Amino acid sequence: MCGIIGCVGRGEETLDTLVEGLSNLEYRGYDSAGVALVGEDGLSVSKAEGDLSALRERLDGREMAGRLGIGHTRWSTHGPPTDANAHPHTGCAGEVAVVHNGIIENYQSLRESLESRGHEFASDTDTEVVPHLVEDAIAGGEPPESAFRGAIDRIEGSYAIAAVVAGSERIFAARNDSPLVVGLGGDGDTPPQDGTAGPVFLASDVPAFREHTPHVLYLDDGEFATLDGGLAVTDTAGRAVNRGVETVEWDAEQTGKSGYDHFMLKEIHEQPWALRQCLSGRVDELRGAADIDLNLAPPPGVQFVAAGTSYHASLYGAELFRRAGVPAQAFLASEYATSTPPIRGDLVVGVTQSGETADTLSALRAADRRGAETLAVTNTVSSTADRECDHTLLIRSGPEIGVAATKTFAGQLTALNLLSLATVESQQDRRALLPALRDLPGDVQRILDDSRAEHVADTYQDAGAYFFIGRGFQFPVALEGALKLKEISYEHAEGFAAGELKHGPLALVTGDTPVFAIALGDDERAQKTVGNIKEVEARNAPVIAVTDGQNDAHLYADHVLEVPETDPRTGALLANVQLQLVAYHIANDLGRPIDKPRNLAKSVTVE
Amino acid sequence: MSVTTAVVLAAGEGTRLRPLTRNRPKPMLPAATRPILKHVLDALVDAGMERLVLVVGYRRRRVQEYFGPDYRTVPIEYVEQSKQLGSGHALLQAREAVSGPALVVNGDHLVEASAVSEVADAFATNDAGATVAVIEREDPRGYGAVTLSNGSLAEITEKPDTDEYRLINAGIYAFDETIFERIEATPRTDGELALTDTIARLVKRRRVGAVRVSGLWVDATYPWDLLSVTRAVLDQGHVAAPSHGDGVWIAESAHVDETAVLRPPVAVAADAEVGPGTVLGPAVAVGRNVTVGANATIERSLLDGDTRVGHGATLVDAVCGESVTVGVDVSVPGGPADVQVESQVFADRRLGAVLADRVEVGGAATLVPGALVGPGATVGTGVTVDGHIPEDGRVVR
Repeated sequence: MCGIIGCVGRGEETLDTLVEGLSNLEYRGYDSAGVALVGEDGLSVSKAEGDLSALRERLDGREMAGRLGIGHTRWSTHGPPTDANAHPHTGCAGEVAVVHNGIIENYQSLRESLESRGHEFASDTDTEVVPHLVEDAIAGGEPPESAFRGAIDRIEGSYAIAAVVAGSERIFAARNDSPLVVGLGGDGDTPPQDGTAGPVFLASDVPAFREHTPHVLYLDDGEFATLDGGLAVTDTAGRAVNRGVETVEWDAEQTGKSGYDHFMLKEIHEQPWALRQCLSGRVDELRGAADIDLNLAPPPGVQFVAAGTSYHASLYGAELFRRAGVPAQAFLASEYATSTPPIRGDLVVGVTQSGETADTLSALRAADRRGAETLAVTNTVSSTADRECDHTLLIRSGPEIGVAATKTFAGQLTALNLLSLATVESQQDRRALLPALRDLPGDVQRILDDSRAEHVADTYQDAGAYFFIGRGFQFPVALEGALKLKEISYEHAEGFAAGELKHGPLALVTGDTPVFAIALGDDERAQKTVGNIKEVEARNAPVIAVTDGQNDAHLYADHVLEVPETDPRTGALLANVQLQLVAYHIANDLGRPIDKPRNLAKSVTVE
Repeated sequence: MSVTTAVVLAAGEGTRLRPLTRNRPKPMLPAATRPILKHVLDALVDAGMERLVLVVGYRRRRVQEYFGPDYRTVPIEYVEQSKQLGSGHALLQAREAVSGPALVVNGDHLVEASAVSEVADAFATNDAGATVAVIEREDPRGYGAVTLSNGSLAEITEKPDTDEYRLINAGIYAFDETIFERIEATPRTDGELALTDTIARLVKRRRVGAVRVSGLWVDATYPWDLLSVTRAVLDQGHVAAPSHGDGVWIAESAHVDETAVLRPPVAVAADAEVGPGTVLGPAVAVGRNVTVGANATIERSLLDGDTRVGHGATLVDAVCGESVTVGVDVSVPGGPADVQVESQVFADRRLGAVLADRVEVGGAATLVPGALVGPGATVGTGVTVDGHIPEDGRVVR
C-alpha cells in the first residue's frame, strides 16, 4: 500500500509537481517518501523516513532538477520505515530508479540470483530487485524499454511500478493488481488523444494530478505505459492498446478542508450532503419504488465480502437481506479469498470504498472464477472493482480523505438499503423504509446540530478501555464504533453483540470502562439490550446510551446520545454518527493526528 | 485597480428572524429553494469575482458544509469571527486573507450581479479608495440614508427618522487595503464596530465614491419577510431548476404527479415529491427532498428542505423550516394577523404561520394566523394553535 506519481513535460516545475502529487497521495501511506529526477546530469534521488515534511526538509536547499521524474509515499510491507527502505530504489550504479506499490512475491530468489552475480542491495525491500534487474539487462546491452519489460516479466506478485533510467527521457510503467492511472495534460476541455504532446502524469490515484488535468486513462493488469512527450500503452506482447480517455468530475479543490480542523470532521459534517447524493433520483416514496438502475434478478442468496469498516457495512447488509427472507452472510475478504465457501447461485457483493482494496478484489475474483455473479458497492467510478464486477452500485459520497471512513460508511449503509429495496423487499417493507431513507439527511443534520458527543468525549477521554454493544442492526454499529475509536485515538476499544457480553467480555468491565450501548425502538431486541445495560451498570461501568428514547435505556445510563426516532434500519446509521463524533472528539482531546493515524492507510492495496 | 476578491459577511445570526435561526445563520435561510447566501455568491461569481472570503461565526459549520472549499470553481477561504461584534469587526477578521482591494457584501442580502460589477468598475476608475453602491428606496427609514454630490457620498445617516431621503446605502462596497486601518481607528459603539461608522468617518475626511444601482435588492428582517423575498426571487426567475413554462421550475430529480396543479410562480427543488391532486402556487417554493402528499393546497408559502406535508393539508402564507412535519388535513388558512415578536407587536402582517426546524404538527391541527411555533415543538392532533409556542414545546388538546 503506497502511492506513486510520475510526470513528464512539466519543465522546471517537475519537482514541485511530484511533491505536490505526493502530498495528495499521503492518505495512501506516510512512513517515508522520495523522488527521483532525470536531468542532463543524470539521475538524482532524494528520500527520507517520515511523512512528506521530512522529504521537504531534505529537499530544501538542495539543487535537484530534471524534466521528468517519479515519486513515492510508502506504507511499509517489507522492511521498517527507514531512509534506506524508502523509495525510489536504485541499482548499483545509480542509473536506474524505481517506485513500486504492491508486493513482489518471488523477490528472495531474484535477490539471491542477483547477489550471486555481484549486485549489492542497500535495503530490505522487495522492490529493490527491480532496479537491479533493469540495470543488469542494460549492462548486457538491452535498450531501457526492453530491459524494463524483461524485469517485469520476471517478477511475480502485485505491482504498480514506474521506472526511470539515466539518459532516457521516458518513464516506464506497468501494472498488475495495483492501481495505476495516467493523466493527459494539454489545453482546453477536450481530452487530448494518445500520442499528442503535453504534460503526462502517472499516479496511483487521480487526486495526485487532478489539479493539472481531468483527463485520465486507467491502465489494466498486464499493460505497460511509456511516457515521453506523449503516451504509448502496450500489452504484455508489446502490441499497442487503444484505451479510451475518461474525464473525471471530482474537483481538486473539493479535497480542501474548507475551514475544518480535520478532514474527518469535515467528512462527518458532509454526511447530509453525501446521503442526498446517494439517494438522489433513486427513490420515489409516493409510488413506493426504488430504482438503482441495475439489471439484477432477486438473488436466492447473498454473500458479502469486505474488510474493515466496509465489513461492518456488509454485516449490516447481510442482516437487511435476512430480514427480507433472503439467506445472506458477510465474510472477511481476506478469509474468503483463500477459504472460499460454497457459492451455489448466490450474488457476491464486494463492498469497498476505494474499489481497490486488494483483499476484496481477491475475494471477488475467487467468486468470479467459480462462476458467481458479482456486484461492487463502491465510491469510486472506474476503480478495479467497478470494472471487474458484473454490476456496480455507486455510493456517491464524494472523495473521502480522512483515513477513518465516516461518510462512506453512511453511504454504504444507505446504498445497501437501496439494493435490498430494489431487489428483495416486499411492497409493505418498502412503504416503511422509503420515508425513513428520505428522512436520513435531515435526521443526520439534526444530530450534527444538537449532539452532546463532545461533552461525553471530554468526560471519558482518560478511560482504561471502551466497549460498544448492540443487537441486530445495531451490532455492526457497535463494531464500527469501536473500530473508529481504535483507529484514531489508539485507545483500546471493542464492540460486542450485546448478548455476548456476559459470555466472557464482562470480565473486562469495571468502573473505568465506559460502555456505549445502542438501543433503538422498543422491540424485543431493544428490551434485551436494556437488560444488558443493567448488567454493566451493576458492575459500576459508566453507561452511555445511544437511543431514540423509545425504550428504558436512558433510565440506566449516565449519559444519553439522542437519535431521532425512525426505522431501526436507518436508525443504525444515525447511531453511528453519534459514535463517529465521540471517536473524533476523544482523539482530538488526546491530540492524535486524526487524518493520518499511525500504521494505517486509506485504501489497502496489498493483501 | 481591478477587484477580484470578495469578502462576504456571513457570521451573524439574524436574531430578529428567530426562531428560524436556531440551527443556522440568516444567510443560510431559504430565499425560494436556495439559501440566501447562495444567491449572493451567484451574484459575485457572475460579476467575475475570482476569490471568495467568507467571514463565518454563528453556526459556521452550516455554511462550510454547504459550500465546501469552492463555489462554481471559485475558491472559498473561510475566516472565523468568533464573537459577533459588528460588521466592521467582521471585515477586520478577513484582513489576513485579503491582499489588495476587495469587494465587500453582506451574506444575508440579495443583490444583482450587475450591481456588484458596477461597484467594481467604478472603484477601478474613480481612484477613491472606497466605493459604495446606493439604491433608491421610497422609505429610507431603517436603512443608512445617503446623499450624493458629484458621484461621491456627501452624507450618510443611519436610520433617519424623516422620509426626506431617497437614496440608501445598498451594502455593496469596494475598498483598498487601508480600510482595515480605518476600521481599527474607528471608535467602538457599545463595544461594536459598525462598518457604516467607518464609512461615515471616511465621508467626512476624504472622497467615498458612490454608484447608483438598481434591480433585485431584498432582504428579510422578520420571519414573514422570507415570503416576500421568495416571491421576489421567483418573479425574477432566480431559480436553478429547469423551467417548465412560464414561472414554473421543477428540478430533474423531483417527482411531481401529473395530476398536480402548479400555479406560477412555483419552484420545486431536487428530490422533492408532490402527490396527485395537489395544488401548488402561486408563489410557492418547495425545497429539496420535500414531500407533499395528495390533495394538499399550498399558496404563498415557503417549504424548506426535508419537510413533509401530509395529504389534504392546507398551507397559506406559511413559512416552514427544515424537516418540518405537517400532518394530514392540517389547516394553516393564512391571512393578515398581529404578530408578536418578543415585546413588539407587528399589526396586520400577512402571515399564516411560522413553523421552525423539526416542528411536528399532528393531523387536522389548525394554526391561527400569526402563529410562531418554535424549533422541535410538537402540536398534537386536532389542536388549534394561536400565538407563540416555545422551542421543544408540546401542545396537546
